Amino acid sequence: MKIREDLAQAQSRAWDRLGRPGTWLDAKTRIAVAEEIRHAPGCRLCARRKASLSPYGVEGVHDSLGRLEENWLEAVHRIVSDPGRLTESWYRKIIASGIAETEYVEMVSVIAHVVAVDTFARAQGAEMRPLPSPKAGAPSRYRPAEARTTDAWVPTLSWGQAGAKEIDLVSGPVSNIRRALTLVPDEARSFFELAAHHYMSGPQMFDFSKEYRAITHAQIELVAARVSALNRCTY
Amino acid sequence: MTAGAASESGVAHGALLIEFAEAVHGTDEARLAAARSKVLEVLGTEALVDAAGIAGFFNAIDRVADATGTPLDDKTLADSAELRDELGIDQFRHNPGHG
Repeated sequence: MKIREDLAQAQSRAWDRLGRPGTWLDAKTRIAVAEEIRHAPGCRLCARRKASLSPYGVEGVHDSLGRLEENWLEAVHRIVSDPGRLTESWYRKIIASGIAETEYVEMVSVIAHVVAVDTFARAQGAEMRPLPSPKAGAPSRYRPAEARTTDAWVPTLSWGQAGAKEIDLVSGPVSNIRRALTLVPDEARSFFELAAHHYMSGPQMFDFSKEYRAITHAQIELVAARVSALNRCTY
Repeated sequence: MTAGAASESGVAHGALLIEFAEAVHGTDEARLAAARSKVLEVLGTEALVDAAGIAGFFNAIDRVADATGTPLDDKTLADSAELRDELGIDQFRHNPGHG
């Protein structure tokens, strides 16, 4: 099925980037996370937890591909399988287990990119894109000096408060979700660049004088709201 | 948008799009295939691509919000206060900002 050229290219850019060294994770780890994202839906521990009144009372070991440590598996599998019931205390335990906050945020971004593209493929009845081969190279290890822990669990840039390189990420109409990944600016930038093509750009979202997609603003928000309600997403 | 007859949304082809969103979210491949075919038949290829794009993006951004503990924007909190109070949903709410 032919898809919009801009969307196809955006996904190709995201996929190419997925296979390159990130800010905190090397490409091998990024791809290992991506592989585990696709493996998680078949995890029996995740299925038991999903079916239980609380996931926190169900112990066990994740069914995995064996390429990530157990604490990484717990993070990836929980975010993929049951994101609506994540808690701050769970997050704190993940960080205490040895995953740096910067690594965690990059992991969340990898999950988001893969879930967006894979869900799109499945929704259309298309095959999932083959994952890219990991490219050699070291992570850049850049952390914006202005990132702080304020109202979210993870450190973020505050709205309107960033250095010259990141100010564009936190400018315009206030949006906490746009701050969510700003501890790792390249990930925030990449994810919302993908967003502009999967969904709409910021200006397009609020321009009700024109329809930018084959479905209307109202139809778009209906699908969005239903998916988010099913995910039990508070935001 | 969260429950009840999809036709109550007042959005053109709302029921069709809600069924599609639910089928994408679920694991029943036959249901998804049927929903996809219906979207294609009624709304066309471009609409299916766009609906799939939305479903994919929001499946992703929900995880970003929940995994980072991102709180609601002050404006959203203010704008939705009356509705949340009317529905009584705050008493059930797991608040990512205070989990």
